[in-house]
Amino acid sequence: MDESITTLKSDTISRCGTILLRVATLLMSTGANTGRIRTTVNRIAGAFEYQADMHISQRVITLTLFDDQDNAVFSSLKKTPPHIVNFSIISGISRMSWRVIEENWSPDEIETELNRLSALPHYPRLAILTFVGFAGAGFCRLADGSIIDMLFVFLASFSGLFIRQEAVKANFNPYLCVYFASSVAALVAGLAVKTGLGDAGNHAFVTSVLFLIPGVPLINSISDIVDGNIQNGITRGVNGLIFSFSIALGVLTATLIYGF
Amino acid sequence: MDFKMDWITLSSKFIWGGVAALGFAALFNVPRRTLLTIFLLGGIVVFTKFLLLGLGFSIVMACLCGAALIGFLSIPFAHFVHTPPLIIYIPGIIPMIPGILAYRMMLGLIKLAGDTKAPDYNQVLAETVNNGIKVLFILVSISVGVIVPMLIMRKESVKNIKIIKKKS
Repeated sequence: MDESITTLKSDTISRCGTILLRVATLLMSTGANTGRIRTTVNRIAGAFEYQADMHISQRVITLTLFDDQDNAVFSSLKKTPPHIVNFSIISGISRMSWRVIEENWSPDEIETELNRLSALPHYPRLAILTFVGFAGAGFCRLADGSIIDMLFVFLASFSGLFIRQEAVKANFNPYLCVYFASSVAALVAGLAVKTGLGDAGNHAFVTSVLFLIPGVPLINSISDIVDGNIQNGITRGVNGLIFSFSIALGVLTATLIYGF
Repeated sequence: MDFKMDWITLSSKFIWGGVAALGFAALFNVPRRTLLTIFLLGGIVVFTKFLLLGLGFSIVMACLCGAALIGFLSIPFAHFVHTPPLIIYIPGIIPMIPGILAYRMMLGLIKLAGDTKAPDYNQVLAETVNNGIKVLFILVSISVGVIVPMLIMRKESVKNIKIIKKKS
């Protein structure tokens, strides 16, 4: 075979492999379950007529590509970026993976789309804070809290999330960020109990920290285990458990300060 | 059972359940086109849970049924808003997470770490174990509930599930 053609081919292969690894690590860090990562990468690899085998873990992903003669042509591993749930990226990558097959995309086009997805704006900060405040008030209402309780929970969730965002910006340990947020939220909501404005059931105090629930790790944990990815399931479950523990510790701190 | 079937209470639960789901949707940065769907799913799941509780179901069964319903509904909804079902069902079922029971369990654990000769020690022990087991079962039942349809359909992607069978 002509030497220039061989180099050209191996260039495309390594490019394709690098992009697949980027897709996999992006999906892992934004909160997709293991089955989804495997399906999506296989789907895109199939469009380029490769077979992809992967070892998926929370911190690093290994990928090997095989060509149609079953020769391993690419093998590499990549560290995942910090885990921040972002469903816009998961949705975007899922739509993209179908368009790669239907419209015969080149690796360059995939990379442009990935760059576009990563740069998509989040909701405005004030909007997120307000939405989460209302969600806290909703939790309080679901637990039969009164209007005044709901008001306190709104303020508690709003300030708790604000503290969490600031702590994340200041590069604190993620569990510590949740601990700070939950103590602040519980302290604000505890005012309802302390001043006697809230009702007797402590509803405000209890529901003020619910916005911190690690829903994505806990649900992904069970779906991974059912899917047979038991190691990943256990890792995610333990992660969710420690987050829950940090929340409990924050509430405990507020309880000790107020002396309930 | 002290709960009364009251349609006004149930509809207010529907709205606040939807609002709670929307908060998590904003936190998880979902695509804008899915927001209305998530509100509906969050409302439906809370509505179903309280309706079933009113009909005398146990809390674990009510959560399992609510989550399974969301799992099934998320498939047509996912087709409708062009997104993987995961993106709409995770914020949707979060309003069912048993925060109050978890809080009571934690308070109980703190009391259990104290004086064993306290007069109500045995009662606190029983209540704490009861609350803890309920929390565990509810968490497992809601996570299993939402993936029930995927287990039944045995497809890797909901895109391959035809809602209406085409005549060929």
